[in-house]
Amino acid sequence: MNSVDASEHYDLGTTDLAPSLLTIVFDTNPHAWAALNQSLPLSNAVANLLVFINAHLACNYANEVAVVASHSQKAAWLYPSQHETPSTTTADRDGDVAMNGSAPAQTNKYRPFRIVEEQVTKNLKDLMDSTSSGDLRGNTSTMLAGALTLALSHINRRTIAWAEEHGGADLEDAAAEGGGSGGGTGSGAGRHSAANEDERLQSRILIVSVSGSSDSAHQYIPVMNGIFACQRLQIPIDVCKISGDAVFLQQACDATKGVYMALSEPRGLLQYLMMAFLPDQRSRRHLVLPTRVDVDFRAACFCHRRVVDVGYVCSICLSIFCEPPPNNECLTCGTSLDIGDFGGKPALIPRKRKKKKRVNGTSAAGTPMSTPTPGP
Amino acid sequence: MAASTSRPLEYLEGLPGTTFYKLYQQPSTALAIFRRMLPDLAKCFVMALLYLKDPLPTADLELWVRSESKKQRDNAISILARLHILSKTRTGDNVLAYMVTNPFASSLRQALVGSEDSQSFGVFSQISGESQVSIADLDDYARQQWEGVMGYMVGTSAFSGQRELNLSKGVKQLLQAGHLVEIRGSRVDITKDGFGFVLQDVNTQVWHILILYVESAEAIGMDSVEVLSFLFLLSSLELGQSYEKKHLTSNQLRTLADLADFGIVYQDTPEATRFYPTRLATTLTSDSSALNNPITGSLTGPAGDSGGSGSGFIIVETNYRLYAYTSSPLQISLISLFTNLKYRFPNLVTGKITRQSVRRAIEIGITAEQIISYLHSHAHPQLRKHNAGHATSNTGGIPPSVLPPTVTDQIRLWQLERDRLRATAGFLFKDFTSLAEYQSPCQYAAEIGVLVWKSDKKRMFFVTRHEQVAAFLRSRNQQ
Repeated sequence: MNSVDASEHYDLGTTDLAPSLLTIVFDTNPHAWAALNQSLPLSNAVANLLVFINAHLACNYANEVAVVASHSQKAAWLYPSQHETPSTTTADRDGDVAMNGSAPAQTNKYRPFRIVEEQVTKNLKDLMDSTSSGDLRGNTSTMLAGALTLALSHINRRTIAWAEEHGGADLEDAAAEGGGSGGGTGSGAGRHSAANEDERLQSRILIVSVSGSSDSAHQYIPVMNGIFACQRLQIPIDVCKISGDAVFLQQACDATKGVYMALSEPRGLLQYLMMAFLPDQRSRRHLVLPTRVDVDFRAACFCHRRVVDVGYVCSICLSIFCEPPPNNECLTCGTSLDIGDFGGKPALIPRKRKKKKRVNGTSAAGTPMSTPTPGP
Repeated sequence: MAASTSRPLEYLEGLPGTTFYKLYQQPSTALAIFRRMLPDLAKCFVMALLYLKDPLPTADLELWVRSESKKQRDNAISILARLHILSKTRTGDNVLAYMVTNPFASSLRQALVGSEDSQSFGVFSQISGESQVSIADLDDYARQQWEGVMGYMVGTSAFSGQRELNLSKGVKQLLQAGHLVEIRGSRVDITKDGFGFVLQDVNTQVWHILILYVESAEAIGMDSVEVLSFLFLLSSLELGQSYEKKHLTSNQLRTLADLADFGIVYQDTPEATRFYPTRLATTLTSDSSALNNPITGSLTGPAGDSGGSGSGFIIVETNYRLYAYTSSPLQISLISLFTNLKYRFPNLVTGKITRQSVRRAIEIGITAEQIISYLHSHAHPQLRKHNAGHATSNTGGIPPSVLPPTVTDQIRLWQLERDRLRATAGFLFKDFTSLAEYQSPCQYAAEIGVLVWKSDKKRMFFVTRHEQVAAFLRSRNQQ
């Protein structure tokens, strides 16, 4: 009789493990890759990334992948192709024969791997070909915000579609409720996903980033909005930082509990990817993952998009400014702010010399007392 | 996953190391085994180690896994070792380290990056396609053949009369050799194993049959390695494409013809120059969850028309009523194994799960677990949806179950009702002359924990192990 207890009959449900959807945001900023050409040429990086994608697809029959390029002037899909839907059928085969010239190439590779590889390389080539020198001249940054948004919308669509196929259809409700309850969503979203974490499509985003932070500062607000959306939907953002150091991406990992790694040796990209970024959410529960301890929490100001350590914050809408806004009016909400003597130095209350001397004189044990504690 | 992976896994584990060495030469085999047989954590280990130049010290691997997950880690490593994928070596400074063994590692790498000249993933037929067979036709064919096999086992053809498929002799022999059916004269009786078999999901069934096939292949002089790697090759082919036969060896061609009888592959005629894998083959490396997708589900569910709406067709209510949206005689006869059917409509049968009906099922050798897993894998999407809707209000920590817990518990309890006797092998001590003589060894037996039963009145006791008690008695006699 002991075999019928409270826990046993719940085990059965957990055997159906949902596949995972990996969405890769690949930073294709030509300026940054040109700078990296010595240590890691773009072609090598793409090859490594493709092996990593194959490894992800190899892990489960139903695993899915999507790749978005975050280019200098636009964000574009690399896989799946958005325009040519019949690409997997005969049209693709014809194209393939024309490109390779020989048919036997098809046999050496698992078919799904080959489809991804072909589309990614083809679309990447198209993207590079369509980039004119004019586009590059004035622009050294990457469209991270747009790529992140594309990734998020793709994840959302796939999640809903998957849930419909498999009957676990509370995702729309979850999304609706999460959106509706506005401010206090942190706990609400957590509750939803905790209940059926294993049953929904396991989505995560991997950002392969090469551009520096100053370049993407002008997108601070949309990027942060994307990050908060991920946080709410419980989608971890992993960041593989090949060069530069983007401040906001550290915050993205920190907020969404993703993996952050800045590569010290870009040539070993594949090994980094395989070890740190391949495990999905279920495996991650068992693994110690690399994260960043000292997260750079600096923000970009709303007026000049500078990354600031200390700035001015509107007391109404919490917008950040690097200097007092013109006319003392908040640029975001228009509240007129009473800035007062902002330029003045804070008044220092001189410490009573006598007392300090006495403390120093007696013993070291008294030192903690010397730090003034703010009163209630 | 555990239930469905176990059988092929068990079989593979029984193979000798040299067989693995030969098997892992093929990239498709390495990929299929990696995908199908390994738990999540083991996959992470393999992938992390795959492109490492040096073996990874064991201590480092232990550091990588959280201390709470020691059990999962050990499980993953033991499975990897049993499949001869991971081996322990010593590095230069004599530190124990793990590495992925070589034919497997190189084959998996080849699978990931694409290799030069192997035809491990099949060769497309180059004949251009007016005569291409559509995916729907392939699904129909697979379903027809597979249900034919099932129907043959359960004996539905006897009363429905409609699907008198010409099952080949090989199929029948295989089923008999696997002890799934017993053939007495012209009558076919399903065995206990057979009942268990028909209640499993399709993917598990296909694996079961394939393992049986491989086992029997050795008996008729085919190389099991060749057959196995051909099966793994089939699993990596693409649905709806035709493949050349001329690259196959004679044994593989023979296998192909046998598999066609099960609906795992399709060929126009046995002499055709090309073959098509059906969905039964291409989903071999998916685990049970992928079977819930609508397309494969239509194999088990009502034929074709409602296939798009989802895989399941059974609704179980908390009052033990069961509604099954199916018209398939096979499914109806399966359901009737453990349900009292009441009404039958063109697309629906209803019934009730009762104590009588469950006991009847258990008496013919079906277990409660099999009934529950059958209901679970064929649960109607509505049931899953309902369950997911309630998941949020569920108390935290307990994953919700698709079936009403009252029903699953009760089915288990009904089974336990029959398990009132438990046999314990052991030894009876009796015929003690005095109470004192009886008492001290009895007490001793209780202390060392071998005592099962005692009767002070009859001066008897029963123990599981007698050596220590006998020694105790002897030492007392000497005193």
